Order: sequence, then C-alpha cells, then structure tokens
Amino acid sequence: MNPEELYLSLDEPDNSDHLWRYSPWKRIHPTGNIREIPSNYKQPNINLSFLDGSDVPNEVSITKEYSKSMKNSFSDQISMSFIESVSQDSKFTFKVKNNTVLEQPVLLRIDSESVNSAINLSIEIGRHCEFELITLIEGEPGWFGLLRKANIGEGSIINDVVVGQMKSGTLLRVDAINIGKDSQVKAGSISSGSEKTKADLRYMMNENGSNLRVLGSILSAERMHIDHHIEIYHDAPETYSRLDWHSACGGNSRTIGTGMLRVSDGSKGADAGQLFRNLLLSKKAEADSIPELEVSEHDVVGCGHGTANGPVDEEQLFYLEARGFSPDDAKDALIAAFLNTTLSEMGSETLHQWLAENLQDELKTLTT
Amino acid sequence: MVVNMADSDAREAVGDYKAGWHDPENSTIRFDAGLSEKVVRDISELKNEPEWMTEMRVKAFKHFDERPMPTWGNMSMLKQIDFESICYYLRSSKATENDWEDVPEDIRNTFDKLGIPDAEQKWLSGVTAQYESEAVYHSIREDLEKQGVIFLDMDSGLREYEELVKEWFGSVVPYSDNKFSALNTAVWSGGSFIYVPKGVHVELPVQAYFRINAKNMGQFERTLIIADEGSSIHYVEGCTAPTYSTDSLHSAVVELIALPGAHIRYSTVQNWSANVYNLVTKRGIAHEKAKIEWVDGNIGSKLTMKYPSVILKGEGSHAEVISVAYSGSGQHQDAGAKIHHLASNTTSKILSKSISKDGGRGSYRGLVKVSPKAENCKLNVVCDALILDEDSRSDTYPTMEVANPTARCEHEASVSKVSDNQLFYLMSRGHSEEEALALIVNGFFEPFTRELPMEYAVELNKLMALEMEGSIG
Repeated sequence: MNPEELYLSLDEPDNSDHLWRYSPWKRIHPTGNIREIPSNYKQPNINLSFLDGSDVPNEVSITKEYSKSMKNSFSDQISMSFIESVSQDSKFTFKVKNNTVLEQPVLLRIDSESVNSAINLSIEIGRHCEFELITLIEGEPGWFGLLRKANIGEGSIINDVVVGQMKSGTLLRVDAINIGKDSQVKAGSISSGSEKTKADLRYMMNENGSNLRVLGSILSAERMHIDHHIEIYHDAPETYSRLDWHSACGGNSRTIGTGMLRVSDGSKGADAGQLFRNLLLSKKAEADSIPELEVSEHDVVGCGHGTANGPVDEEQLFYLEARGFSPDDAKDALIAAFLNTTLSEMGSETLHQWLAENLQDELKTLTT
Repeated sequence: MVVNMADSDAREAVGDYKAGWHDPENSTIRFDAGLSEKVVRDISELKNEPEWMTEMRVKAFKHFDERPMPTWGNMSMLKQIDFESICYYLRSSKATENDWEDVPEDIRNTFDKLGIPDAEQKWLSGVTAQYESEAVYHSIREDLEKQGVIFLDMDSGLREYEELVKEWFGSVVPYSDNKFSALNTAVWSGGSFIYVPKGVHVELPVQAYFRINAKNMGQFERTLIIADEGSSIHYVEGCTAPTYSTDSLHSAVVELIALPGAHIRYSTVQNWSANVYNLVTKRGIAHEKAKIEWVDGNIGSKLTMKYPSVILKGEGSHAEVISVAYSGSGQHQDAGAKIHHLASNTTSKILSKSISKDGGRGSYRGLVKVSPKAENCKLNVVCDALILDEDSRSDTYPTMEVANPTARCEHEASVSKVSDNQLFYLMSRGHSEEEALALIVNGFFEPFTRELPMEYAVELNKLMALEMEGSIG
C-alpha cells in the first residue's frame, strides 16, 4: 500500500488516544478536511554545514534519495503516512559513515521560506560514530511537516537536537529513532516558534545496552499551542532512558507533554524515568501533562515518572531582588535558568552556547 | 451446597478465595436475563416508584443503549460482557428487615459467615446488608436516629424522603456521565441513602455489605450520602460474591455531597470473586471547607474500572484518595482517582499502591484538573507499584491539566520489584521467604490499612498473607 492509500484507509483518531487528546488531527491537518491530501507541497531549502559555516567532510552527506532500510513499525500511522504523502518530492537521506568522529556540531538548516512544505528525512548513522547534529527548522510557512526516521549504529555517541523556530503556521514533526546496541543518544527538542506544534517522538531500544536521554526546552508564548508526545520503548535487556522536559508557558499559550514509557517483557535490568516540569507564567496559560508508564518486566532497576507544575518561586525572586535585580530581570533570569537546566544537558559547550544565543529573543517574549 | 463441575473448575482457576461459596438460589422474584425498556419499567413498577424516577430510568436506558462501549481501558475484557445474559433484578427476601431473626435463614447464614452481625454489635453505628438486588437487613443505632440521622436502603429512602432524593439523585453523577452510570440509573436497586443533619458527628462507621449469590447476576446499587453543614460520617462498604465459571456484573453509582464544613470518608474493601466485572462510578462534591476522602481497596474481581472522584467546588475544600489494588491471575485492576479543583485554596492528595502477581495487571488511571479561576491550589499524586513475577504487568496513566499559574502540582510514580535486600534482612531474622514477602507486601499497603477501621485492616492483612502463599519457588 502506498502512503496515500494507507492514509486514506485510516479512521480519524479517537481523542481517547492520548496522542490526539489535546490536538485532534483535524486541527493539525493543513486544511482541516482530513480526507484531503494537498498535492502542491514543495521542497524546503536545505543546507548542511558545520556550525561555523564550514563544509562538512565526505563522511557526512545529505542526498536526495530515500533509504528503504528504515524500520518504522512503531510510528503513528496517521501522521507518518500523511507526511510521506505530501513529501513525495522531498525525500532525503542524511548519512554518516562508520567510525566518523566530528569535533564541531553539524547544522542541518531546513528553511521552508513562506510556502507549505514537508520533508521525509531518513537518517543513517554508522557504527562507532561520535558527533552532534542540530536540525534547525525556519521559515514562515502555513504548514510544515518533518518526518525523521533514524537508525543509529552500534556503539555510536550522538547528540541530536531539533530546534523548531518557524515564525508562523503549524509544525507537524514525527520522529522514529532506532537506537543501536551500546549506543548513547541525547535527543534534545527546543520549540519556540510556530503557532501550533504537534510532535510525535518515538525511540526504540531493542538492542542490549543502549542509553537514551530525551531533553526538552519548550517556550510557549502568545497564543501558541505546543504539543509533544514522547514514547520510549525498552525492548532489550540493560537499557537506560531518562526524559527531562521543561516547559515555560506565558501569554495565552498551552503546552502539552504526553509521555509513554514502555518496558516490555524480557527487558531485564531496564532503568527508565521521565519527568515533566511546567512553569506557568500567566493567568491564561495552561500546561497539561500525561506521563504514562507500562511495565511488563518485573526484574527492572526501576521505572518511574513524575510531573510538577508551579509558578516562578517567590523565594527565589525575593533572593534575586534582594541582590539588586529588578522584578522583571529576576523573573527573566529564573525562567532562563529553568529552561537552561535541560538546554545545558543537550550537548557540548559549543552547542549549548549556540542554543542559548539563539533563544535570547524568544525568552523575552515570555515575559513581555 | 451444590458443587458442579463448572464450579470446581472455576474454583481451581481463582485459587483460594474464602468468600467463594454460594447458597442454593432461592429467589422470590427473578427477572429473565436481558435488558429492555420493559425490564426497566417493570423494575420501577415493582418498586412502586414515582413517575419522575420511572422517566429518569427510561431516559437512562435509552442513553445506555445508544452509547458505545468505552474506547479506552481493557477493551478486550469489556467486549466479553454479554449484557443479554445478565439478570437485572433478583429478590431473595420479601422485605428489608431490621431484626436479624426475621431475615430468611439461608441469607442470615451467609452474612453470619461473613461476620456482619458480630461486627455490628462491636463497632458500627449502623448496617445495611444487600443480597442480590435488594437490601435484606437494615439497622441504625437509636441515638443517631434521634439526632435526625437518616440511614436507609435507597429504595426506602426514595419512598420516605422523596423530595430530598429528587433534589440530589443524579446531581453528582448524571445518567449521561458514562455508559455504566446510565446502566445503573436505568436498573438501580438497593444501595444506601444517608443524610446527616447539620453539626452531627457520627462517631462510629456505618457499614454496607454487598453480596451477589446467584449466577450471571447484575448488582446495581445506588448510594447517596448527604452530609449537611459541619457534620461528619464514615461509611464502610464490603463486597463479595461466589465463584462461578460465568461472569457477573457489578455496576454501582455512589454520590457524595459534603456541604460546607462537612467531612465524608468512604471506605471500600472490594473482594469480589474473579468472575465479577466491577465497573463503578463514584464521585463527590465538596462545598466550602468540606472534606471528602475515598479509601479504596480493590482485591478481587475480574476487571475493575473505578476512579473515585471529587469535585472541589467550595473554597478551601480538600480531597483525599488512598487506594490499593491487588491483581492476581486473570485480573485487571484499572483503578485510580480524579480531582477537579474548581475553587481557590483547595487541596488534594492521591496515594495509589498496586501489586501485580501471577500474570495480573494493575493500572493507575487518574486525572487532576485545576480550573483557571482556582487560585493557590495544591495537589500531590503518588503512585507506587510492585511487580512480583515475570508474567505480571503494571501501568500508570496519570493526566494533569493545570490552567492556573498559582497552582502547585506534583505527581510521582514508580514501579519496582521486591527488594532483595529487604527479603534478606527479614530472612536473616528468622522469617521464611514467604513470610518475609507477606510482611513486605503488608508494609507496602500500610498507608492504606492504617486508614481503615482496625477490624478491616486485620482482615485485609490476613487476606494479603493468603494471596502471598505459594508466591515463592
């Protein structure tokens, strides 16, 4: 079945499915008519370089072809088949050869300019690679779809950060990441643009010894609606995962974080945890969290989750004001520190500095 | 006692369930299996109910009929419910008695075995005992009656206090709330009706005991408790059923109304046999500075779906839900809690503990919601789960919706196995491995058992020790 046929054969998802509970598919679909598959979507501009603008070596490439070796059975079919349908002319493979070690972060810039577009990106990372990848989504489209399916090779150490900084419209992002044996992955998400964001991020650990950290720094202001669903599957022994998700919500915005941690039977020694923290900054903002846990293996190191919501701490504000900060500066500093807790864990100091500088303007919109 | 082949098979399947015997069925009225508008009207006519109640039942039946089954939870188990094979009304005695000696002998023996009369004498303010669809025995201490406390079975409540019932019935759980609240409203029978006047404190708990005896039986009791301003009451309910190889359905609705400053505690130790579907809607409304507590133990049943809820409507009100669930072979305990913070300065606390063993599945499913106008709310949710073997499973599905920036909300959950260190510690002090495990499990449940009346707590500890037998090796 091709993607269009698959998409059209599917029923509208029910809101009892937590993936679609707060952002029904009708609201995310570009036209709202879910039986329609728009045909005029274009390819966004894509540029691959090091963070300082220099060229990447030959071991790293992006080509306009599509890898057929991707396993994606754990993705949601609605959003995946829809992006596949509208990105027929926009299929790319990002490839990194075995044993590639890079000192500088690699920047994959995707700019949709002002047209509706989508991209179907397959990511193939070889064995024993070590590098950092930033995927930056920019532009002012009405709608943009990003599908990333990745295979991360055995023993690789990867920091993979996606920055959503579209100035308008709806972003639909679907990730299906397979994490190889003994590999270590940090998956960071920064969301600060687009009016609506719906992200469905799934990570599969079906080989021994894989290690995953999922980190989120979410800034929602004005009338933004930012919905992230994160699923982590432990399907092999001795696997480790941690999810830390920090959202700061101002204006009339709403942020949603739903997480599913699945530990299947046989995943002995699994160690899994997830934590959602929400900072509410205005009377009209709302933060919703559903951190779910399904554990079918009893011989685990531990599986836990937590969520916490609250305002900016009055005592901390008082402390900073007593040391000369104005009330606004003190609040800004605490919000920045809250988001920086996860931001600083996403990768190297170079990466962190670039991210922090990149987000300066967005931080201001939270408090103004 | 008649034991046929199917019974012995079933007993083998559910293990050593103490309350699994049954008496020969000796009904005075038994409706044919199946549900229709006629059945609903017949139940109402039999009870000689006012017109408004009949109409509410019929509306609820239509809603039940049209509403699809839930599309969440354990849908494969829910699909197995055959609504047409269930008997919706069965009466085994002619009237509700208030003297044990007047209760038919076979039913009296049943409750004697369950220890109800003994408990009443020692530590209860009042008792109602429901057998199949109707209450068979009912009593309340005279001093409470003199203070104006009303404690009746629901049918008598409707007859004797129609205006009060009309005002509150369905005000907390409308029939349109969910498919099973519609079913209950359509065919309800029995349950308790309690009114505690202003400022009256009922010191000792009142108890209701629900027993299903017949096969393929549906029990649909309806309980309404109204605690007027500044009053307090503790209501305790227990439930058991015989072990059969065919399924029974228990679908109750409980509504609590705590008026300003009132305090209601509702404790349940549910020990249905492993062939009972337990699909219950329990909800309370707390007005200004009122307090509602659900203390909820789920040990038995095939599938339980129960999420005791509190709507914190009045400023300064407080809710607490403490629940434990034990899931053994073939069981799924899908339990949890829901709290809606509608008013400012409201607080809530949820503590959920579950144990899964022998392939059982325990799920916590909860919702905590803070509305935009509710300032300075505080809430805390803690879920702990123990998985005792490799065939069992534990899930947690908490939802937190916070729309006010002054709210402070916390949720934490953990799933783990019994610690080897704890087992070793206890065994090095002379306990067998089995005893050590039972002690750890009782310790795990301790935050729940300490909230129960002592007699219930002792019984629960014994029950858990029994469930732990044969866990090792």
